[in-house]
Amino acid sequence: MSFITTLIGTIAFAILAPIVGCLLAGLDRIISARMQGRVGPPILQPYYDVRKLIAKDNVTVSGVDGVYMSAALVFTAFAGGIFFSGGNLLMSAFIITMAGLFFIMAAYSSRSPYAELGAGRETVQVMSYEPMVLLMAVCFYMAAGTFNVSSVFGLSAPVILYTIPAFIGFLFILTIKLRKSPFDLSTSHHAHQELVRGTTTEMSGKTLAKVEVMHWCETVLFLGWTGMFFIWGGPLSLILGIVVALAAWFFEIWIDNNFARVKWQAMLRSAWTVALVCGGINIIVLMLV
Amino acid sequence: MLLIAFLILFPLIIAALLLLLRGDGIRNVVVWVSAVAIAVASIMFAVQYLGSPWKGFEFSSVAADYIACAIGVAISGVVLGFGVKYKNSLAIVLAIIQLVGDLIFEFGFAHNVHVEVGLYVDSLSIVMALIIGIIGSGICVYALGYMIDFQKHLDEHGEGMTELQRKDRRPTFFALMFLFLSAMFVIVLSNNMTWMFTGWEITTVCSFLLIAYTRTDEAINNAFRQIIMNMLGGIAFLAAMFFSVIYAQTLSFQDFVLFGLNFPWLVAVPVCLLAFAGLTKAAQMPFHTWLLGAMVAPTPTSALLHSSTMVKAGVFLLIKLAPLFAVCVIPAQMVILVGGLTFMLCSFMAISQTNAKRVLAYSTIANLGLITACAGVATPEAIWAAVLLVVFHAAAKSLLFLCVGTAEHHIGSRDIEDMDLLFERMPWLARLMMLGIMCMFIAPFGMLIAKWATLVSFVDSRQMALVLLLAFGSAATFMFWGKWLGKLSGIAGSPENVELTVHPSEWASIGLMAIIALVACIALPLMSTLFVEPYIAGIFGQLGGDIAIDNLWISSILAAFVFVILFAGNHGSKAKRADVYLAGVSVDSDDRIYRNSLSGESKATSRNLYLESIFGEGIVRRPGEVLCTIIIVVAIIASGVVPPVL
Repeated sequence: MSFITTLIGTIAFAILAPIVGCLLAGLDRIISARMQGRVGPPILQPYYDVRKLIAKDNVTVSGVDGVYMSAALVFTAFAGGIFFSGGNLLMSAFIITMAGLFFIMAAYSSRSPYAELGAGRETVQVMSYEPMVLLMAVCFYMAAGTFNVSSVFGLSAPVILYTIPAFIGFLFILTIKLRKSPFDLSTSHHAHQELVRGTTTEMSGKTLAKVEVMHWCETVLFLGWTGMFFIWGGPLSLILGIVVALAAWFFEIWIDNNFARVKWQAMLRSAWTVALVCGGINIIVLMLV
Repeated sequence: MLLIAFLILFPLIIAALLLLLRGDGIRNVVVWVSAVAIAVASIMFAVQYLGSPWKGFEFSSVAADYIACAIGVAISGVVLGFGVKYKNSLAIVLAIIQLVGDLIFEFGFAHNVHVEVGLYVDSLSIVMALIIGIIGSGICVYALGYMIDFQKHLDEHGEGMTELQRKDRRPTFFALMFLFLSAMFVIVLSNNMTWMFTGWEITTVCSFLLIAYTRTDEAINNAFRQIIMNMLGGIAFLAAMFFSVIYAQTLSFQDFVLFGLNFPWLVAVPVCLLAFAGLTKAAQMPFHTWLLGAMVAPTPTSALLHSSTMVKAGVFLLIKLAPLFAVCVIPAQMVILVGGLTFMLCSFMAISQTNAKRVLAYSTIANLGLITACAGVATPEAIWAAVLLVVFHAAAKSLLFLCVGTAEHHIGSRDIEDMDLLFERMPWLARLMMLGIMCMFIAPFGMLIAKWATLVSFVDSRQMALVLLLAFGSAATFMFWGKWLGKLSGIAGSPENVELTVHPSEWASIGLMAIIALVACIALPLMSTLFVEPYIAGIFGQLGGDIAIDNLWISSILAAFVFVILFAGNHGSKAKRADVYLAGVSVDSDDRIYRNSLSGESKATSRNLYLESIFGEGIVRRPGEVLCTIIIVVAIIASGVVPPVL
């Protein structure tokens, strides 16, 4: 029963992904600090931050942002559960978009000028990466013959052999999805932020903690998508997948530290061009083969 | 059979009755009772024929043929009359062409062609009958309260208007609404193409009269644009019937399809013409402007045109033609390309709109484009998706139009930017509107599941261009719905509920639409098995390898979860309330006013992004129209030239 599998996967993801994601976030801060010539915080610093946020007073502007963020968390867990239990890739992509939408709604609900501006930019970000996500899934489908992630274990060769252009395109939009510079338009972890804090301006305490946890889970999920391209059966390929995913993650941190933020026009144009070229070429090739 | 007669004739009688009734009270009673009767009859009809394969009813009547012809003449007469009155030469010319064509067809040409099986039922017509019977009549009920406010507004603020524009034309309005329903039932239940055509033309002229309702210059202009575009489609339909008689010696739609399957090269031209008629009615580019113009009409009209009638007749015809698209390459490519382009470009243009009704109109056109493209692809999966798209679109779009209509009367604006502060006191309406929006574009709701099936069918049939059009169009869809949803999201938190002036009839039908939208989303797996799969099996003899039922159930559960968040979530939380951060000391937090650096007061305002410079109508519209026109012209010419050469 794939339905039960999905539920079990969702629960497992909801427990494990925050742990892995938290460690990754801690490493991210250390690596970033080393790139900038600093020592950086302890690896568990993100966990200490969130623990402190949870202990804070419950203060809100709109009264609904907490509810929306809880929904966003639940949907993130489902998206991860569907993916890591070997379910449908497209379904996972759609559900994570739903989580993103609830995050956007939470930001809008405060009706704060800064948060609204951030939320508006976040919708542009979603619009920028969405075509490539869809085309990536289509290319996976054409290469593997199904959207089911579990099918990769039965393949004779990894999907990447047929989907190099789509994978490059996906790496490009991964920067947007992880909200890394130069595409951290809606909210940023860095100090150079003209929107005060963008989408999360009015969020505090537990609500902000939910945003952090959701971000950890998202990171794990997207790295899972990255690794999926390199797996074709056998535990050894699983290691390859993890190595590639971590390499991609390191690459994103490097980009984050080396590029200045761009305007939304540049983001939209470049992301759509990449989607059209990489996705388009890959689909044409796969259709002809 | 009896039920079919009831569904067609009863609204007709009510329409005649409503024409005579002047009082609000008696009209309320008649509309309520007959709307319920039609809804119940359509449900009984659905239950009786549930899951049945194509089933024809032997029914032919010379009298009915003459009546159909007389109606055709009357329709041309109405258009002719308006054309002369408002000096629109193009409308006059088209009306004359149609009149002459109609008469030649009936008396000189097809007089000896008899159709034994005049009426039929299959799963698709059951789905359509349910949409027309429940959603259509629900909108009629909504119109009761809406039109009272509408007329009051005209009486109070109509100083600058002429006597003609201020006149209380409500009896005609309601009569037209019911006539519309009757004509739609004729279209979806007739196997006789002449009758189908008559229903087709009645819907055209009904929407003409409804759009022209206020008789302002704008209304008249837009009404003429509508009638001209749709009469082009009507004439194409008529021409296709000529071809059908010449080649196939039949006017039975079923026989026409069977003939076409055997001799695809002979029917290329009539299929192209019928598809053209479908494209005009479904407001595909370059004919999309008539649907945008139709917004000038009172909102119930828009709701009716967009959700359950008129444009749905267009896509209904295209879906019916799908078996022929599978064998005729040229019309299929025309429909696929025009539909796909329309989907993407109209989604783009929706981003740049601030007017809520215009956003809805563009989204309707875009979704119709998707349905059109699915019909053209004509694989079992594509048709499965097309039928579900029709259902979900009807439910969600009528809900949204009714919400916007009510909002407009209470906040005095249709601008999305006005929907935050002024809307504050209508939390329930805001939540229903949010539900409608979510149903339109996001997982796990049915619309997206159907879109997903669409994507799969496009990939499987190797429609590379369509995959790209769908990918970029869907992204645009997220943008324009997402920012609207955001504008509404803050309101759900306000505790007060001051919505007392909304008419009960409006609440009743808005509630009905919300329930339909939700039930459709949650019961998606059941609906697929009960209504859609029998049709697919009947047409293709097999089911497509559609989305696994497990995924349908997952989305069904998640849809229910979203519903709980929207309506039962802890909205009035006990959390401490804080003022918004404004980079200065707040003076009035609710109005976002703060003390600036000169000790004066500043108001912080923000506007959503409309990306005019990229997706503005001025940039997108012209290339789209040109491209689609070229595709249509080339396809029609090619369908006449290429098959004989081969």
